[in-house]
Amino acid sequence: MEIANPGCRSAKSWPRVNSGRLQLSFRRSGLLQIILVLFVIMFAGSVGAGGKEVIRLGEINPLTGHLAQHGQEIHQGVVYAVEEVNAQGGIQGRPVKLCSRDDQSRPEIALNQAQELIFREKIAGLVGGYVDSLVAPVSELAARYQVPYVASASLQQALTRQRRNPYFFRVSRLDGIVEPLSRFIDEKLKARRVAILHIATPGSTEFAASLRDNLSKVGIAVPLLEKCRAGSRDFSTFLLKVKQAGVDILVSGGFYPDNLILVRQWREMRLPLKALVAPWGVAYQSFISTLGRASEGLLGMCAWNPGITWPGTEAASCRFVQGFRQRFGQEPNTTTMHGYTSARALLLALAQLASRAEPLTGPALSQALRKLEVVLPMEHLKFDEYGDPLYYRQVVVQIQQGRMVVVYPPERAKGWLPTAPSLAE
Amino acid sequence: MGTISRKPYRKQNNFFCRFLASETWPLAAVVGGLLLAWPLCFPKADLYYQVLGMACFYGVLAMAWNILALAGGISLGHSAFFGLGAYGSGLLAHYQGWSPAVTIPLGAMVGAGYGVLWGIFFQRLRGVYFGLATLAAVEIPRVIIDNWGSFTYGSLGLVGIPGLPDLRLGAVEISLGASLRALYYFLLALMCLAGALHFWVMHSRWGWGLRAIRENEAAAAMLGVNVRRSFFLALLLSSFLAGLCGGLYAHLLGLIEPALVFSLHLSALPLVLSIFGGRFHFLGPLLGALLLYPLDQLVLQPYLPMGHAAIYGVVIIATIFFWPRGLTTCLSKRRRSV
Amino acid sequence: MWRWTQILVAGGALGSFYALVALGFSLIFGVTHAFNLAYGEFILLSGYLAYFLWKSWGLPFYGTIPVCLVVMPGAALLLHLFLRRVRSPFEINSLVATFGLALVLQNLMLALFSADYRLIQPEAFPFLHLPATGLTITDKQFGLLTFSLAATLLVHLLLRHTFLGKALRATIQEREAAELAGINVNRMGWLAFAFGGLLIGLAGPMYGQTMYIYPAGGVEATLIAITITIFAGVGRTRSLLLGGWLVGLAEAAAAMWLGGSWKELVSALLLITLLVVRPSGLAGRDGNHKP
Repeated sequence: MEIANPGCRSAKSWPRVNSGRLQLSFRRSGLLQIILVLFVIMFAGSVGAGGKEVIRLGEINPLTGHLAQHGQEIHQGVVYAVEEVNAQGGIQGRPVKLCSRDDQSRPEIALNQAQELIFREKIAGLVGGYVDSLVAPVSELAARYQVPYVASASLQQALTRQRRNPYFFRVSRLDGIVEPLSRFIDEKLKARRVAILHIATPGSTEFAASLRDNLSKVGIAVPLLEKCRAGSRDFSTFLLKVKQAGVDILVSGGFYPDNLILVRQWREMRLPLKALVAPWGVAYQSFISTLGRASEGLLGMCAWNPGITWPGTEAASCRFVQGFRQRFGQEPNTTTMHGYTSARALLLALAQLASRAEPLTGPALSQALRKLEVVLPMEHLKFDEYGDPLYYRQVVVQIQQGRMVVVYPPERAKGWLPTAPSLAE
Repeated sequence: MGTISRKPYRKQNNFFCRFLASETWPLAAVVGGLLLAWPLCFPKADLYYQVLGMACFYGVLAMAWNILALAGGISLGHSAFFGLGAYGSGLLAHYQGWSPAVTIPLGAMVGAGYGVLWGIFFQRLRGVYFGLATLAAVEIPRVIIDNWGSFTYGSLGLVGIPGLPDLRLGAVEISLGASLRALYYFLLALMCLAGALHFWVMHSRWGWGLRAIRENEAAAAMLGVNVRRSFFLALLLSSFLAGLCGGLYAHLLGLIEPALVFSLHLSALPLVLSIFGGRFHFLGPLLGALLLYPLDQLVLQPYLPMGHAAIYGVVIIATIFFWPRGLTTCLSKRRRSV
Repeated sequence: MWRWTQILVAGGALGSFYALVALGFSLIFGVTHAFNLAYGEFILLSGYLAYFLWKSWGLPFYGTIPVCLVVMPGAALLLHLFLRRVRSPFEINSLVATFGLALVLQNLMLALFSADYRLIQPEAFPFLHLPATGLTITDKQFGLLTFSLAATLLVHLLLRHTFLGKALRATIQEREAAELAGINVNRMGWLAFAFGGLLIGLAGPMYGQTMYIYPAGGVEATLIAITITIFAGVGRTRSLLLGGWLVGLAEAAAAMWLGGSWKELVSALLLITLLVVRPSGLAGRDGNHKP
């Protein structure tokens, strides 16, 4: 690392640069060859993608990175939906090919991959997407290139309300969580004071603000509303504050791993609370088996689970559970079902178009999705004018003896333990 | 930028000659030519515009990082400038409704302002201690922006940031917001400008002073290098460029949130790209970005949707093993790293 | 009053956790100057090993630690073999090479263990509960405190009171001088990785029990390790524990009085202030230590 003379062979030397030396440096640098080869490989992919018969479907999910667990679950749901259609002979005899891409939980990669799907794979429609910040850029792209996009898990209201996007649809929405939850807290738990914890993500933050507004409308005080970073290691100080605030209900807007730690520390500290409600992360069989006895009496929310299904779809739900178990050797859960539902919506719209022998163009598919009305295990699916699902409503479940039991809304409730049993006994 | 970039214009001829005298100009010419000309062969390839445009973008960010690294400041916190640039520009556009052409440089000034603070507080820190201080320094703007919900929208993120405006050059109108091709050429031009600046920094008297600081501060001071001033200027230029990238990013994407623009990933990426390409060569960071980013996005991802990140890691490891000073070392027969 | 003690306990346990995670990194970095970004992935590997031993083989949690203590030094020595191939400039190149290695390991773990979150021994069991004061110390907090104290004490005894430790310390303090004094610096590198592996073997199960483990979680462990190591001064065992406690307490106090979302700011300010105010003191020798 010596400090040499300022690398300039000074102005005088430049006329000596002749073609001979140029050749030399070309030969010397293997780097140039690497660059050329790379360029060839990069552009090679653009030529392929033939075969008129196959219908291509694009999927973008966080398959690696910190959102990988739920990304993989959605991915499995989408894969299952496509394989189910192919097993039944495809859409009007045409097989469906699923092109999956990983966005690594980063928006600009989601953008790149969506472009890749649209231009190289020439997909008919897009599904997937786990968090709003990953869904939003792709939805803009969908509008620009007129490729319909059915998002699997997206909540933020600004995405559909701020600007009309005729090519963006989603199978979930925030109201479907906040509304049943605030009613449940008011009617069933008869709470007076509620503490809310949320994570520094758009979805969770909007959830917390919206829930607080709803609760204060019915006269329930929210003396403690706290935000923390995703992946917090320690909630014991927060739980101290909960104890100080004298609340009877704690609502956690944290995700699966946050709730693992929160619930355990709550149990360990023997905090007197009437209930702990967490819309995300609790209503999973794997969560219950991980926490074991500590999960007893917890309240969670889900749109679907094995055994918890939209009224009238019990048979279809059973078939799905059995088929899914056979295919993946795993239990499906509510996240899987979101992936499955979004893919089903797109496939059904495609089938409708194909049965009328219409061309599978973006605008036509968007029209078909807009008119789609179907009862699926997760919800009675119909999109409103903004692309939001009209009838999406989650249910509140309670964990009783290691199983999820619906406790709200009343018409779907199966049982209810009025107080959360403490572990002290 | 104004005060710093006046010099090259005075000496432009000189630097141009130096560029031609350097052994790498054929490579620079070939890469530049390829990047300029490929759209002629694939006129309707929006995907490649997007990915190569982003590669150019990260090339600029990597060069911004490398200017500070030249002086021995291995920063692990450039996402602080990036995020401040993004939020500065995004919030100005949101509240004032100004054109991005105005707000992006202003956002970059915010980033540079934070760079000034670094310059004041971290002036005695070097090496890993500087690295750690920069790593921690990212948290300060991030937490404040995250918690100042009434002004910055906090964790909800800032959505609906306007796209880049149309450029008007005489009768020709270039719509950067709508046309990916125009955007690509814009980012390419930006990269070339930043590359020229980078070349100038590396071959100027100031740049040699920075290298001297990196190697031995006391000796550099003895030789007459104003250590504090040189380092401070490098930091200022570096933070301004990183802030510029951040401002651009906000308008390219249309939405930002604290976790996104103040991410560890954005701090680590320029470091990896620069060292992959070779941080002692003015083309190094740029080649790193132009090779590694498209390799991952266009080759590995489509062919290996599940294992692409592992192969990406293997490529990085292999490069460090075989070209410990970066890919560009195989350009120079002297194999000297300065 | 009970609130103060409770915050002391929470912060102390958190700080002990930080120190436990950082011990191995500190030793390895001090002796070999390998800036190991894949450190967190090794902690995770150790954590996964403990998890599967506990879950599938039904080993009691504390029974998994000896197994990890045997296996992880082997893995650390493999890492040393890998890092020996990295050429100069060593510190910065080891940083990038281990960044690549971390990516490979992350995806390997994703393929092998799936993306699920795993948690060891979640059964709640308070170690000490005083209903009159409201003070609760859980067995996990107690375990963290004891293990970090014990590990720090052992490393301290090793470094201070054995000939080997003196050689290690000399290598940490002045590499060239140690070599001149006849210390085989190369062999010290192997030893540092072996001891570092032992410490990783201890930290892994504790990590899996305190935090959940998942394939992308190594970054957090690496960050904790780097922060606490440089904060305390490279290779300084006792101040490592003190530094951990200081950061842990500051975070707990910030979460109490400012809110959970401010605690990163407080610990960052604490770090920067200490670095800025005492650069030479914390930097050890010359303050001109380059990566």
